[in-house]
Amino acid sequence: MDDPRAARLVQTALRCYPARWRRRHGGEATELAALLIRDGTPAASVALSYLAGAAREWVTPHPGRRLSTVACALLVAASSLGVSAGLLASAAPARAASTSQARGQAHCRPGPAKPAPGVIPAVSRPQMIIWEAGHGRSC
Amino acid sequence: MTVGRRDGRTGQDVLRRVGEASVLILISLADGPKHGYALIQDIKELADVELGPGTLYGALDRLERLGLIDPLPAEDRRHPYRITAPGAAALRVHLDSVERVSAAGRLRLQLGGI
Repeated sequence: MDDPRAARLVQTALRCYPARWRRRHGGEATELAALLIRDGTPAASVALSYLAGAAREWVTPHPGRRLSTVACALLVAASSLGVSAGLLASAAPARAASTSQARGQAHCRPGPAKPAPGVIPAVSRPQMIIWEAGHGRSC
Repeated sequence: MTVGRRDGRTGQDVLRRVGEASVLILISLADGPKHGYALIQDIKELADVELGPGTLYGALDRLERLGLIDPLPAEDRRHPYRITAPGAAALRVHLDSVERVSAAGRLRLQLGGI
């Protein structure tokens, strides 16, 4: 590939494939990308196609790869999405509660905080610690 | 997917659910072995379909796992592929099926007077 930026883009996309795939097709895939770009196909389009292919490759169960590996990867992805959603859901009520608390009283209220409806208590606690750290106060 | 026997003589259309890219690759390989770039060029000419390189490798791996194509010894960095006997049989069954559906569709359009 003459254009170093195009080459970098394609190489980045190819690095997303599993190592087993790269060992088998990596060399040819790089050469194929160079030929397609020389023929006028945009480098971004080639890289995007490889990225989509890499995503498919990771989620497709192969005889050499255990199904549990794929299941674990999906589970980790789903869990991290769930935790993020939980943090987002708890952030709004916790912030609202802390604002009204600050208006009503200047000091921290002792005792455990009441969880807002629909908020997971385990997630709302770290939120409190972060808020307190931001204000440099401790209860 | 109902693969059945790997010899392709079950009469079942094993290519029904493998996707258009896989069928086009088999059609392209039907007249002789080709490597990735040659496949993309041939399919573009044959069906006016621009196969992305990511799609190509995904389909090649799938067809190889099904025993419908075989990789040949590499020439430099290029890996040519050839269609296997079960691959050719599966392609025949699929093309027959497509032909039947196509004929029925044309007939219905004629009967409907559209």
